[in-house]
Amino acid sequence: MLIKIAWRNIWRSRKRSLIILAAVGIGLWTGIFLMAFYTGMIEQRINAAISTELSHLQLHHPTFRNEYEIPYHLPQGREMLQKISKDARVKVATGRVVVKGMIASASGSSGITINGVMPAEEQRLTNLPGKIVEGNYFTPPKTNEIILSKKLLDKLNLSLNRKVILTFQDKDGNLASSAFRIVGIFKTINGPYDDSNVFVAIQDLDALAGIPGELNEISVLLQSSEMLELCQRDFIQLFPETKVESWMQLSPELGLTVSVGDQMVYIFMGIILLALAFGIVNTMMMAVLERTKEIGMLMALGMNKLKVFTMILLETFFLILAGCPGGLLAAFATLALTNRTGIDLSFYGQLYSSFGYSPIVHPVLKFQHLEIIMLLVLITALISALFPARMALRLKPAESLKK
Amino acid sequence: MKETVIDAHNLSKIYDEKTVPVYALNNVHLHIARGEFTAIKGPSGSGKTTLLNMIGGLDVPSNGYVEINETNITNLKGNNLIDFRLNNIGFVFQSYNLIPVLTARENIEFIMLLQSRPKAEREQRVWELLKQVGLEDKANKRPGELSGGQQQRVAVARALAPKPQFILADEPTANLDSISASNLLDMMAKLNQEENITFVFSTHDQRVIDRARRVITLEDGKIVQDTLPTIISHSHSEPQT
Repeated sequence: MLIKIAWRNIWRSRKRSLIILAAVGIGLWTGIFLMAFYTGMIEQRINAAISTELSHLQLHHPTFRNEYEIPYHLPQGREMLQKISKDARVKVATGRVVVKGMIASASGSSGITINGVMPAEEQRLTNLPGKIVEGNYFTPPKTNEIILSKKLLDKLNLSLNRKVILTFQDKDGNLASSAFRIVGIFKTINGPYDDSNVFVAIQDLDALAGIPGELNEISVLLQSSEMLELCQRDFIQLFPETKVESWMQLSPELGLTVSVGDQMVYIFMGIILLALAFGIVNTMMMAVLERTKEIGMLMALGMNKLKVFTMILLETFFLILAGCPGGLLAAFATLALTNRTGIDLSFYGQLYSSFGYSPIVHPVLKFQHLEIIMLLVLITALISALFPARMALRLKPAESLKK
Repeated sequence: MKETVIDAHNLSKIYDEKTVPVYALNNVHLHIARGEFTAIKGPSGSGKTTLLNMIGGLDVPSNGYVEINETNITNLKGNNLIDFRLNNIGFVFQSYNLIPVLTARENIEFIMLLQSRPKAEREQRVWELLKQVGLEDKANKRPGELSGGQQQRVAVARALAPKPQFILADEPTANLDSISASNLLDMMAKLNQEENITFVFSTHDQRVIDRARRVITLEDGKIVQDTLPTIISHSHSEPQT
């Protein structure tokens, strides 16, 4: 009966309740959509980072990543690569020679990371050919071919088939340099990455660096991200002299973005719900004030404090929960639409790209996030009910009945 | 000798005790026996409602105490007092005070739900009471769809639902036209005579005073007149439980 009373009570002031229901619905819609938008954006960034830049795991000499110096290559890197490639959990693994150096053209120069890659494996791992917007991928047995980004190309005022000079320190600390012909131009969503990376075939670089046949980086893409921790632990055991790092360790700022992103969305959702809570508290307090006499009568007749509290609590819950289906439906519909088409933010494209994010965002709603949102909504309802319920409990039947 | 249901001892209610004391009730002694049909009359501000509130456990006296069936309700607090009211006292208010979102039937049943009575018993009693107050055909109407007189009948049925020791009715006819008031009084008088239900009214409605068998007059918080109760032989003499 309390449920019946509470439900009917919220419809006594239909217009007022509908306004609150609309506010709850819009708040929920906005909150869910923003959460999905942000999750989608982060996931795309992570997926791009894993598939293009970092892979799931990378293996290096323990001191290699401090200075990227050639002497710190992986001893017996190719044997390690073979062992790793045979692991069933590994989708694809590739070896690289990575050096920091300089690219120079007739019109300028720039500091870059030179990635000496195994063309076939790299294709499977990072889909580099798929990112080529002009020209071709490596065409063995041709040598000294280079693929660089459109951004770098423009910066150095270059064009396809022109030659550039790559210069870096070799194993012995001597300057090594060689001319490479531009065969392909790539473009990713990550501006800073494009700006600072070039690709050459590993056999053109390792000899020049003084480490023929060696590797200083092994990059591993797993069948699933869920295997990451276990694989990392196994590889650490298998190669104790090697540093095995996950993408989160390789790019801590990216790992941080995920956790900070989640927190930010929850804070944002919290703010929406807090604003809603004020509206709901106001509505419920009005409802209690308008029904002072009625509540006093109920207490006089024998309704105890727990039941009065429960009645107000139920009314608040119903007021909030009745707004949820509309908000959820609107959110699901919006997400279904935008997840398929993506939200095109290309007018801010440069800005997004400079932070490594795709300008077309496909929102993603995780069930876990939805659970947390609904929990937050229920907590809001509970907190919102406390003030009006307390107000109702303080009423004295004799005084209330006089009003 | 008739069994005493309400026993009020030295009841006083003083407002502004620290500045200029105002006596809403001043040392009132009152005994009401089972089966009485009593009206408490007096001008506005004489203390009628205050006295009723104290008898009903809705207000606390500054001095004195109230016993209902030998239970000192002045000492009861919180949920104990609420439960006592629920199980022992029926209230009928001036402005009906039904729960507007419930139907007549649900309004009556609600009280029994608070008492945790079984569904079958509730159903049976609701229809009994609706029949007694002559509103069987209005069972599913909400208060807004009933006339003032009909609403007050539902209020009486609701007050009777928990099988209380007595019913306190605060100005029950104040908002009713003369026909509705007369019908309501007839119904309550019948319940009193046939079911031995004790009624205590606060009123300044002469129609109620004329029907009462005992009239207590209050002035300035004091009982200035108390007519002797006229006890009528009842067709049902067993006390209510």
